[in-house]
Amino acid sequence: MDYIHNSIFTRWITGIIQNRKAVTGVGIIFVFIFLAVFGPFITQDPTAFLSRPLSPPSWEHWLGTNGQGQDVLAQTISGARQTLLVGFTTGIMVVLIGALIGGISGYYGGRIDDILSLLINVFLVMPGLPLMVILASWLPPGPGTLTGVLVLTGWAWNARVIRSQMMTFRNRDFVSAAIVSGERNIRIIIIEIMPRMLSLLASSFIGASIYAIGAQVGLEFLGLGDVSTITWGTNLYWASNDMALLTGSWWTFVPTGLSIAIVSFALTLINFGIDEVTNPRLISERVWRENIPRDKAVNGITPVVKDHE
Amino acid sequence: MNNSVLSIQNLCVNYITPGNPVKAVNDVSFEIQQGEIFGLVGESGSGKSTVVQAVLRTLPPPAVITGGKVIINNKDILSISNADVLQYRWKQISIVMQSALNALNPVLTIREQIKDVLEIHSDLTGKAIDNRIHELLSLIDIDVSRLDSYPHQLSGGMRQRVVIAIALALMPPLIIMDEPTTALDVIVEREILAKIIELRKELGFTILFITHDINLLLEFADRLAIMRNGKLIELGQTQKIRAGGEHSYTQKLIGALPSASGPRKKGLLSKPKNPDFGSKPLLEIKNLSKNFPVSGFFRPKLIEAVKEVSFQVFPGEIVALVGESGSGKSTIAKLITRLIRPTSGDIFLNGTNKKVSEARRVPLEYRKQVQMVFQDPFGSLNAVHTVYHHLVRPLLRHQLIPKDELFNYIIEMLENVGLSPGAMFAEKFPHEMSGGERQRVALARALSLEPDLIVADEPTSMLDVSIRMEILEVLAQMRIKKNLSIIFITHDLASARYLADRIIVLQHGSIVEQGLAEDLIQSPEKTYTKQLVKAASPGWFESLSFNHKKKD
Repeated sequence: MDYIHNSIFTRWITGIIQNRKAVTGVGIIFVFIFLAVFGPFITQDPTAFLSRPLSPPSWEHWLGTNGQGQDVLAQTISGARQTLLVGFTTGIMVVLIGALIGGISGYYGGRIDDILSLLINVFLVMPGLPLMVILASWLPPGPGTLTGVLVLTGWAWNARVIRSQMMTFRNRDFVSAAIVSGERNIRIIIIEIMPRMLSLLASSFIGASIYAIGAQVGLEFLGLGDVSTITWGTNLYWASNDMALLTGSWWTFVPTGLSIAIVSFALTLINFGIDEVTNPRLISERVWRENIPRDKAVNGITPVVKDHE
Repeated sequence: MNNSVLSIQNLCVNYITPGNPVKAVNDVSFEIQQGEIFGLVGESGSGKSTVVQAVLRTLPPPAVITGGKVIINNKDILSISNADVLQYRWKQISIVMQSALNALNPVLTIREQIKDVLEIHSDLTGKAIDNRIHELLSLIDIDVSRLDSYPHQLSGGMRQRVVIAIALALMPPLIIMDEPTTALDVIVEREILAKIIELRKELGFTILFITHDINLLLEFADRLAIMRNGKLIELGQTQKIRAGGEHSYTQKLIGALPSASGPRKKGLLSKPKNPDFGSKPLLEIKNLSKNFPVSGFFRPKLIEAVKEVSFQVFPGEIVALVGESGSGKSTIAKLITRLIRPTSGDIFLNGTNKKVSEARRVPLEYRKQVQMVFQDPFGSLNAVHTVYHHLVRPLLRHQLIPKDELFNYIIEMLENVGLSPGAMFAEKFPHEMSGGERQRVALARALSLEPDLIVADEPTSMLDVSIRMEILEVLAQMRIKKNLSIIFITHDLASARYLADRIIVLQHGSIVEQGLAEDLIQSPEKTYTKQLVKAASPGWFESLSFNHKKKD
């Protein structure tokens, strides 16, 4: 039998669909994912020497060529592949590890919590950026290394947040009710509590992905990635190596930089959308502001709008 | 002109939503005369708190006042400027909020909080402020040495007095009391009310008293108004309303709660015809204790929540554990349902005491035999799951019913607790039901495993007054049908009297007195029990000492 109608999830999904911010964000991300997957089949070969190096945008090369004479449009589109893949994989893994360790720590409490909290705290106090740089330069370069390094330095904060959320749920009556009815702990965590945390998990995933894309590009820009692959980070690395700033060839780095900014912007929009949908007070306050004269919308004093119906 | 302190005319308040606006207050009009106690009664969602917050213009978004007049001092405060609104707040009207712990700032001392009001709203300075603070404190009978205490260092009753002192700071002609005693224990509640009435006699302010408890207002209010679904449905002298009023809803409200004293009303809740509970106890508790550690870096302390409690419950018996907050009654509930482990003592179920204190795991068999109904039906059901899920999980876990009969069994369980048609309710989500319906689902869940014992922890205290007896009736009937034992935990002596066969009175984690329900109510032995019975009976207000003094 189908019991999913009008569940909290269907309400959220319809909410997201109706939310302008979330829809814009999702749309932009889909465009980028589409380009990342299918783009390289359409564009010119991003690795081939095609034209005079550093030639400005033209009909032949819409975004010009870089210092190696490669097509910048093709490079930007190909770069999206690995950058987004590493970004979203890191996001998923950070949330999974955070939910596992933070969830267990918060649910069981006691000695288990003491040990796991210690682990979380150790990773929290470790300086992330230097650790990332050292690990990335020491391990063999590649997307696997990047993901590993980003997850290792990024999971702890998430685990901390999920742990505290789990601790508040742990003492709710619906959890006690499940315990009294004989339900197993692991089932309570996964079936009863995790769905209640979905909005937190979703926004954690998005936050972690933004972080992963930014950090990844940063590492690669420093030359700590695999410079033979094409990613947004290596694009910027080569642009900097080829003195793009000194020669004023803006077209070699602006497209990549703009792509990174737009993806982060879109992800942030989705996060705002999730926030509004799962926290109805934000929506009702917005609707309230739209519906009353601006001079009456004062904090702390209820407006009187007599002709409002 | 007439001597009304506050006149509300055709007040309308809307809550703006993405769909149609919700009419929270719809065309409400009443006047409050100088010096009277005006009571405003309503259940949750009736709009009573919205009315007073609209009068103060403190309703948060998405509220909008859409019509009417609120006249104080011949001024319509719905048409004055925003700056003037701030002027009249506290000087003309002040408010005593429901929860004193939330109304007071936890990081400021009592002195600073009273001072704050005086500095902002009055012209007093320096020494004059100190004098005024001392004056206010002596009014509410709190020692001056307490002035530098923080709110958490005071008891609930004292905190509420401080909130009253702050409301009195500028001696406004009208004080609004929004459920000022709901969060307090009965005996403290009576003390606070007596203090309020005494202060009013001394100082002569007018009171607008808001509560869900009509029986409380019938004791001391001059006039009463009853609200339902945003509308005023009854308005009149207290005597007239006590006699039954005009609206049928009024009668329902008045009759909804039984009294703890006087002759027993017949036929209020079903009772077995020949109560015989045998001699072999179903549940036996021996010297049960529970300590909670309170974290303190240098001096870790222990709170003794339950101290050496022993009692028995026989098959088919309903035992009420009655006590105020801090009496340990909810801790006992958690101990019996094995949600927490006891510090010492034994819990025998059917004569066996399986791994009570040593193991973390509780035998599945125990989980089947002992079920629990929680206080808050909004919290005890999981918002992401259907009613069907809530009922099917325990059945699957214990494998009591063959899979192909599950659906019919669940529908039958739902109809047994009065949710019919069961098939329709099975598909609902918690947010699609009212509080009473949710509590019925929680009852059905507890009953579905055919347990021997149900621990019901304040199952009605979060529900509206008018449906409380209906929920208790479900419990009463299930006991008769299934020979179920019930431990009914409550702070309300009156409902314990009608539902339970035996009452155990708890105070500070120990048993004060126990006995057959009617015996205990009619002839309590201990002082504490006598106080409880008296506080829960009508007429307590008349017997207050100052009422007699003033009349002489």
